[in-house]
Amino acid sequence: MLSYVLDRFKSSIVVLLVVSIITFFVLMIIPGNPAQLILGTDATPEAIAELHAAMGLDRPMYQQYLSWLLNLFKLDMGTSYVYGESVTALIARSIPVTFSISTFAMAIAVFIAFLFGMTSAIKKNSVIDYFSRSIMQLGAAIPSFWIGMVFIVYFGVKLKVLPVSGFVPIERNLAGFIRSIFLPSLVLAIGEVGTLLRIIRSSMLDSLKQDYMDMARVKGLSAGKTYIKYALRGALTAPLTIMGMQFAKLAGGTVVVETIFALPGIGRLVLTAVEHRDIVLLQGLVMFITSTVVFITLIVDILVMFLNPRIKSFQEGE
Amino acid sequence: MKTTKRIFAVLMIALLITSCSAQENTPISKDVKTDLTMGYTTEPEGLDPHRTAAASTFTVTNNIYDTLVGVTPEWTTEPRLAKSWVISDDGMEITFTLRDDVYFHNGRQMKARDVEYSFNRLKDAESPKARDYANITAIEVLGDYEIKFTTGTLDVELLKSFVYPWAAVVPEEEVENLKTKPVGTGAFTLGEWVPQQYLTLKRNDNYYGDDVKLETVKMVLIPDATGMMAGFQVGDLDIIPLTGDQVTMVEGNENYKIISEPMNAVQIMSLNTNNEYLSSEKVRQAMAMAINKDEVIEASMFGYGAKIGSHLPPTSPDYYDTNNIIEYNPERAKELLKEAGYENGFEIDMSLPKNYQLHVDAGQVIADQLGRIGIDVNIQLIEWGTWLSEVYGAKNFDSTVVGHTGRLDSYAFLSRYKSTSNDYISLTTGEVDELLEDALHELDEDKRKEIYKEIQVILANKLPAIYLQTPHTMLALQKNVEGMEIFPIDFYDFKEVYFTK
Repeated sequence: MLSYVLDRFKSSIVVLLVVSIITFFVLMIIPGNPAQLILGTDATPEAIAELHAAMGLDRPMYQQYLSWLLNLFKLDMGTSYVYGESVTALIARSIPVTFSISTFAMAIAVFIAFLFGMTSAIKKNSVIDYFSRSIMQLGAAIPSFWIGMVFIVYFGVKLKVLPVSGFVPIERNLAGFIRSIFLPSLVLAIGEVGTLLRIIRSSMLDSLKQDYMDMARVKGLSAGKTYIKYALRGALTAPLTIMGMQFAKLAGGTVVVETIFALPGIGRLVLTAVEHRDIVLLQGLVMFITSTVVFITLIVDILVMFLNPRIKSFQEGE
Repeated sequence: MKTTKRIFAVLMIALLITSCSAQENTPISKDVKTDLTMGYTTEPEGLDPHRTAAASTFTVTNNIYDTLVGVTPEWTTEPRLAKSWVISDDGMEITFTLRDDVYFHNGRQMKARDVEYSFNRLKDAESPKARDYANITAIEVLGDYEIKFTTGTLDVELLKSFVYPWAAVVPEEEVENLKTKPVGTGAFTLGEWVPQQYLTLKRNDNYYGDDVKLETVKMVLIPDATGMMAGFQVGDLDIIPLTGDQVTMVEGNENYKIISEPMNAVQIMSLNTNNEYLSSEKVRQAMAMAINKDEVIEASMFGYGAKIGSHLPPTSPDYYDTNNIIEYNPERAKELLKEAGYENGFEIDMSLPKNYQLHVDAGQVIADQLGRIGIDVNIQLIEWGTWLSEVYGAKNFDSTVVGHTGRLDSYAFLSRYKSTSNDYISLTTGEVDELLEDALHELDEDKRKEIYKEIQVILANKLPAIYLQTPHTMLALQKNVEGMEIFPIDFYDFKEVYFTK
C-alpha cells in the first residue's frame, strides 16, 4: 500500500516537471515581445532592446528555463512586473481568498448534493426526486456571472443585507469575512451542485441494488443505518473523485466569480497577469495552479484507496 | 449525519451574522466628509512615472508627483512646480524659475538639480518616453531655483512636454523603490497599495499649494461594471467611471450626477494604402461614404461619442470641423467604386484587437456596412501583442480599427502622417510633409492653427484612415461631490475635490 502512495507521488512529480516545461515554453513563444508590450508604441527600438535584455529574455531559452526551474525549487518565482513584488508573496496573499470561497462553496454544494442525492435515490421517482433533478438541470444551466449579478443587485443593492463586493480577511473581522464570501461561495456552489448531485444519486441507486443491502436488511438493521453504513459507503468512491476535481478546479481560481465580486483571489491575479502581459507572474500562477490540482488529485486518490476495500486489496495483492 | 448537522449550524450562524450586521456599511456623517472612495478597473503598472507607458499608472501618480507645468481642463497651461518660464526669442531655449517652497514627501527640499536628474532619467534608455525628449539636448542648472532646457531643433510646442504626468520630478535617493514606494512632491502621499484590492492616498500636509480638502482618497479595484455600479448605488463609492450602457441607470436620478467630456483621442479605421484596392483614393472615399458613423458610435459607445472627419478630437484648440467633407451616402459610394473599377466589390481583411471591446464593436458594424456596397470584410480578432508586432510594427494588415490617444499639441497627434515617419498609416504621397514641417516652426499661434486646419482637410479627403469618432470619458458622482474634472490628459486630480456634506 505504501508503494502505491509512493508511485502516485513519483508520477505527480513527473507531471509537474512536464507541466513546468510546457508552461515555460508556451508563454515564451506567444506572439508579442513582452518588452514592446510594456513600453508601448512610443518607445525607441533601443529602449525595447534594453528592457528585453534586462528581463533576461536575450539568453538562450533552455538557460532561461533552467534558472527559472532552479529558483522554483527555492520558491522564488521572480518579481512581478506590474506590482514590483515577489510572485510568491502575491500568490500567498491571494490563497486565503480563493481557498475560503472554494472551501465554503464545496461545503454548501456537498451538503445540498448529499441531502438531495441520497433522498432522491432512496425515494426514486418521488416528488423529491423530481425536485433534485430540476436542481441538477438548473445548476448546470445557470451561468455564474448572471446569477452573481442577480445576487449583487438583489442582496446588495435592493435589500442592502450583504456587501456588493470586496473581501474582508478573517483575522480582521469574522462576521465581515463571512459576509464577504457568502454570495460568491453560493454562486460557485450553484455551479457545482448539479454534477455532484447526479453522481451521488446514481452511485447510491447502484449501491442500493447490491446484495449486501439485502444482507443488511435481513440482519434486521434499521433503514437509516443500512443507508448510511452500507449503501453510502459503497457509493462514495465516484462522488469523492468528483468532489476532488471540483475542489481542485475552484482552488485554482475562479476568474468569473472573483471578477464580479471584486475578490483579490488567484483567478483575478491570473487575469491581471494576462491583461498586463506580466509573463513572470503568469508562469508562477500556472505552476501554482497545476501543483494545486496535482496535489488535490493525489490526496483524493489516496482517500479513495482507503475507502474502497477493492482497490486496497488489489494493490496489496500485487 | 453529525457532520451535516454541524455544517447546517454553520450556515445558520452565517445567515444570522449577515442579517444582524446589515447596517454596518452606512457611513457615519460628521460635518463634511473628507474621505473619498473611487472605483477603478485597471491596476497601475507600478508607480514609477519614468518607467512605464501605462495610463493606469499616470491616473494615480499625477496626485503623488508634480510636473513643472500644469494643465487646466480647458487645455491651457498653468504654473505648477515652476513659478514662471521664459522662452528665448528663437524658441530654442526655455528657462524655468522654480518655487522655493517645495518639499519631497521624505522632507528634503526640491531644487533645480532634482529637475535635472529627473529629466535625465526620463531621457535614459530604460524610459519608454525617451524618444519624446530626445530633442532636449542640454539641461543646465542656473541656480537652486532656476533651470534651462535647450533643444536641438525648433519645437514651438516645447512647453507642453513639461505637462505630461511622466515628466514628473522625483528625488534621486528614492528611485530604487519608486515602483512600490513612490516619493514625490504632490498633494497626496501613498498610504498603501494592496494588489488586487485598493490603493489609498493621504493628504500631504507639507504641500506647497492651496489647502487640499480631502484627507484620504481610497481607490478600490472593481473589475466588473455591474459590481462597480452596485457599489455606487449603495453609496460605497463616491465616484465611478461610467460606461455608455450604464448611463440610464444614473441619469435623471437626483442623488447622482454625471460629468462627461470627449476624450483627447480618436477612433479610426486605419487602412493599408499598399493594399491593391485600398491604394485607390476613390475606393477609400467610397468606403468612408458607406460607413454610417452615427451607427458606429451607437453600437460601440451607446451614442456617447462625437463624430469626426479628420485626425483631431473636437476638444483640441486646433480642431477644424471636417465632417461635411465626406458624408454618409451609400449610393454615391457604389458609384465611386464603379468609377474605380471595382463594380463587383472586393475582399479585405480587418484585424481587430480583441482586448478592446470598443474597437471590436465598431469594426463589426463597419464590416456590415461595407458589405452593403459589395466590399467583403473578413474580421480577424487578434491579441494586442499581435496587433503591436504585426499591424503596427510589420504593417502586415489590410485594415484595423483602433484608438490613438492624444497629446496636448497637435503636432504629436499628426506627425505620423509624414511620408517619412515610417508609421503604419503615414500619408505616403507626401501632401502634408511640408505643412507639418511649417507647423513645427511657426511661432505665431493663429498661423499655426491655419496650417493644422489645412492638414486636417487634406487628411479628410485623402483618407489614409477613416476617421470615426472621439469617444467620451464619463464619470458618475454622488451629488455631494464637487470639484472633480476631466482633463485633456488621462489623469485624475483630487486636489480640488471636496464634499458639500
